[in-house]
Amino acid sequence: MTPQLSWYLALSAVMFTIGVAGVILKRNAISMFMCIELMLNSVNLTFVAFSSFFNNLNGQLFVFIVMAVAAAEAAVGLGIIIALFRNRESLDVDDANLLKL
Amino acid sequence: MNEFQLIAYLPILLMFLVAAGFGSSQVILSALLGQRKATKTKLMPYECGKDPVGSARERFSVKFYLIAMLFILFDIEVIFLVPWAVVFRDFVASGNAAFIYIEMMVFVALLLVGYVYVVKKGTFEWGDRARVEAETEAKILARQERLAAIQVERKAA
Amino acid sequence: MLINPIFALQALPVDVNFASIAPELIVIIAGVLVMLVDAFAAPKQRWLTGGISLAGIVAAGVACVLMWNDAGTGGVVTSSFNGMIVVDQMRLSFTFVFLIVSALTILMSMLWVEREALPAGEFHSLLMFATAGMMLMASGGDLVIIFLGLEVLSIATYVMAGFRRNDLRSNESALKYFILGAFSSAFLLYGIALTYGATSTALEGGTTNIAVIADRIAAGTAIYPQLLFAGAALMIIGFGFKIATAPFHVWTPDVYEGAPTVVTAFMAAGPKAAGFAAFMRVFVFGFPLVATSALSIQVHAAWINALVVLAILTMTIGNTAALVQKNVKRMLAYSSIAHAGYALVGFIAAGVTLDITKQNDAIAGVVFYMLTYAVMNLGAFAIVMLIARGGDRRTELEDYTGIGFKAPALAFALSLFLLSLLGVPLTAGFIGKVVVFRSALDPAVMNDYRNVMTLLVVVGVINTAISAYYYLGLIVVMFFRERTTEWRAPRVPASVAVTLILTLAGVLYLGVFPGKVIDAFRRNAINVSRLR
Repeated sequence: MTPQLSWYLALSAVMFTIGVAGVILKRNAISMFMCIELMLNSVNLTFVAFSSFFNNLNGQLFVFIVMAVAAAEAAVGLGIIIALFRNRESLDVDDANLLKL
Repeated sequence: MNEFQLIAYLPILLMFLVAAGFGSSQVILSALLGQRKATKTKLMPYECGKDPVGSARERFSVKFYLIAMLFILFDIEVIFLVPWAVVFRDFVASGNAAFIYIEMMVFVALLLVGYVYVVKKGTFEWGDRARVEAETEAKILARQERLAAIQVERKAA
Repeated sequence: MLINPIFALQALPVDVNFASIAPELIVIIAGVLVMLVDAFAAPKQRWLTGGISLAGIVAAGVACVLMWNDAGTGGVVTSSFNGMIVVDQMRLSFTFVFLIVSALTILMSMLWVEREALPAGEFHSLLMFATAGMMLMASGGDLVIIFLGLEVLSIATYVMAGFRRNDLRSNESALKYFILGAFSSAFLLYGIALTYGATSTALEGGTTNIAVIADRIAAGTAIYPQLLFAGAALMIIGFGFKIATAPFHVWTPDVYEGAPTVVTAFMAAGPKAAGFAAFMRVFVFGFPLVATSALSIQVHAAWINALVVLAILTMTIGNTAALVQKNVKRMLAYSSIAHAGYALVGFIAAGVTLDITKQNDAIAGVVFYMLTYAVMNLGAFAIVMLIARGGDRRTELEDYTGIGFKAPALAFALSLFLLSLLGVPLTAGFIGKVVVFRSALDPAVMNDYRNVMTLLVVVGVINTAISAYYYLGLIVVMFFRERTTEWRAPRVPASVAVTLILTLAGVLYLGVFPGKVIDAFRRNAINVSRLR
């Protein structure tokens, strides 16, 4: 059975939704961050699927950019999380409550 | 499809040889040339800088995170370098060789600026205290060895 | 269809034109220079790094003005790097606004980095990179460049928000901004991916070039039109987060309150304007109305209606929530949400105006609005920073009681900025609102949207009236309440004095003689992206 484009799109939509649910439901900053990475990677899958099925390179290029950006974001995000942890000794976002929501 | 030709895999074999040669030459050279100071730290089982005995949940230096983050940043450049290398010939054929070469050199230069910045900011300085501790430890061990040697000499005498 | 792993190299002639990205290049080079100076010079170099940054911004401004004079004349490129970069009036005007915001932020930051002994070099280089990111967002003719600019801007701003490393509030602000910013970037990115797929045609793959997207929608050759709606919706969510429109605004007050005041001022003025630049570029030029294409009509109606709802919500929620705030920074944060709503009215007007000259006027109106907002907002935050003292501790409303006659210069300046934010005649804020609302009521607006635009303007005016309560409330607190505790007027250092003089002059100049600036923004009504 040949893989269809829609399979890839459905998979990436499911992954994206899991990521969104994770960011909303998880209470640990690192877990939330991992869910965001999951969202980004599901987008990469969409790009690559379209790119591959239409023999067009733009999508692949976009994936490179997204990967580089995700790496930079990871470095900055972990830095922020460490700075918070040093001052507060907790990664639970419910504890980050000095600024009322 | 072309017929299978073993000779086509020669570059991979050469790569293996170079890699194996590099690895073994480093080990042999350091065994021949390196000085050996058997400090207590060095005699411990290797555990990436952590104390191998005791609780695994204790906190370790934030420097590890820093190195890991810098690794992520400097590692990701490869995703730009590899496609560049793949299409380089096509660009040379289309007459844009100088442009694409200079562009990548600018990219590498920017990475270098980042590296210089990181070094100058002292990220790779693993703390003076750790160095002082290691040095004193080495001195104590050296003195003990000297004392042991002297004792052996006295006994012989 | 089979997956074909071998792609034919799509060899294009490389359309290199470094002159077309001169301002961006200058700012980035200045940022790298600041980094190197910071690494090699002695620790006491904040004037040096600040000076280099300011020089870079001035040089970029000169390059921008030179391009401005050339734009629209014959023989000048309108796009370069194979459509990645656009040279048009909207881009240059926005670039001008970003440069002003950055210059004022650098001047403001001089006091702050000195008072709290923060690493000035790091702050200034981050600010320069953020500026470059904003400029790329305005100049991108392709979704790749817009995304890249957005991320360069966001990543630099995440760090700046957490710049006071030992302060928990700053940490929390950075964490919230980071998590929600990355979350919204992912939505934007998914929208881009679906748009990329949706614009595939039977003959060739999808596109991320905004002008080509518009062409494909108009020609009706896109094979997955349904995905286009999902893509546009996700992009609205992504951009909505960045410019803080109403359902996506909840991060704004927390982040603005916790971040250092200088950074808050920058975040409210710069990234918001950059968000508008990219948002308008993608939607006004990427999804325009083409009467001959059914798909285009549907997509256009969908995004216009979505934005109308967002604009009404944003104006109303921003202003009503600001009424009950006890903290001045939070109040100004809600006020910044409300102002995003007013600017959205101009954006929608640009979307529903078909006449190209009038559309250009509407876009110029939004740019002018962002300029006035940036000037008065930076001025107000400069005074908030002075009154807050070290560590940004005194930002509650009660810290302002009765200071009116103890520090009359500061109090009168703050009052002027607040009146301008409210939109009192003879101030910049008034002209900004007039320009935006006028383009919404212009006869060139499509017939179908006349009533909606009138409704938006009515909501805007009612909200302006509501906002009088909290803006004037702060003035009353300053001048007509007795203070029981001891209070001494803060010292005003030279750099902040310069900022205040510039912003005051800007508020009055834009309020009294706005014509020249507006004309400069709307000159050369050619709409480059549309002409292709």
